[in-house]
Amino acid sequence: MIGPDRLWPVASLGPIARARTLGASIPGAAWAEGILDAPYATTWPWIADLEESVPRFDSQVRKVRVLERSTRDGAPRLRITASTFGVAVPFDVRLENGFCLMQARARIYLVVMAAEPHDAGARTRFFHLEAVPLPGTRLLHNHLQRVVDADFANLARLASQGF
Amino acid sequence: MDALVRALIPYVGRVCGAIALDRGDDAMQETFIAVLRNIRSLREPAALHGWVRRIAVREAIRAARGGHEEPVDPGALAGGAVAPIDVATVVDVRSTLAGLAPEQRAILVLRDVDGLSEAQAADLLGVPEGTVKSRLHRARSAFTRKWEA
Repeated sequence: MIGPDRLWPVASLGPIARARTLGASIPGAAWAEGILDAPYATTWPWIADLEESVPRFDSQVRKVRVLERSTRDGAPRLRITASTFGVAVPFDVRLENGFCLMQARARIYLVVMAAEPHDAGARTRFFHLEAVPLPGTRLLHNHLQRVVDADFANLARLASQGF
Repeated sequence: MDALVRALIPYVGRVCGAIALDRGDDAMQETFIAVLRNIRSLREPAALHGWVRRIAVREAIRAARGGHEEPVDPGALAGGAVAPIDVATVVDVRSTLAGLAPEQRAILVLRDVDGLSEAQAADLLGVPEGTVKSRLHRARSAFTRKWEA
């Protein structure tokens, strides 16, 4: 044996890379990635306040309500509803620093948001993914991509205005 | 799928880190993309670990070959001199690994981190067992030289 295991270099999978792996493996997933002109230290706390942030940048969501907060596997979990087109859709949310996975209860919809500091934290690299992880939904991709692109543009504008 | 990724991160991180070094994060991302895209083809859940290992080693070697730290012609690994090692005053696993070819690093990881036999490592890498033995000998010699320096 060469030596203590801790001496071996260990690779890491940051929030953005983790989100990209999900995006690349879900057929029909739509995503956008880019730089937000706002510090990470203010961007992620704002994003993580889902009741405040999501309705402001997601054109399809009117309201988010947090129903329950808990901790599982070392990460905060939320039960929320996102009201879209007059229907309150229940989601389970895993919320970590820089990573948010939102899964609709019946697994009919998936949202991933991930962020990392950019320019030493002065700006933020952000990744936003939406998917309908069901068979035969590839046809929705173009529509979903337009939605994601519009959401990202909204977010970029809000970031440049200090949210 | 995210739960599977989280469960595999420590293991894949060790394999990709030790083989691909500075390109370990890229190798790790590519490994998980390949794993998630093909997980449905895995018929036997008990084979998951070995299957992921195979993908991680392949992606790590590929990432390392795309880097600028490949010191040795892989064709020279079956016989020849020990790879040149950077002189360092401090024992440094990383710098020693960087002096080896990706294929040598892969064998070190499979044998000394994963505990595979030489036959298993040869099968996974698609090389004869004798090649594994000679690469392993040279890789371990590099560490011995470094530690005794």
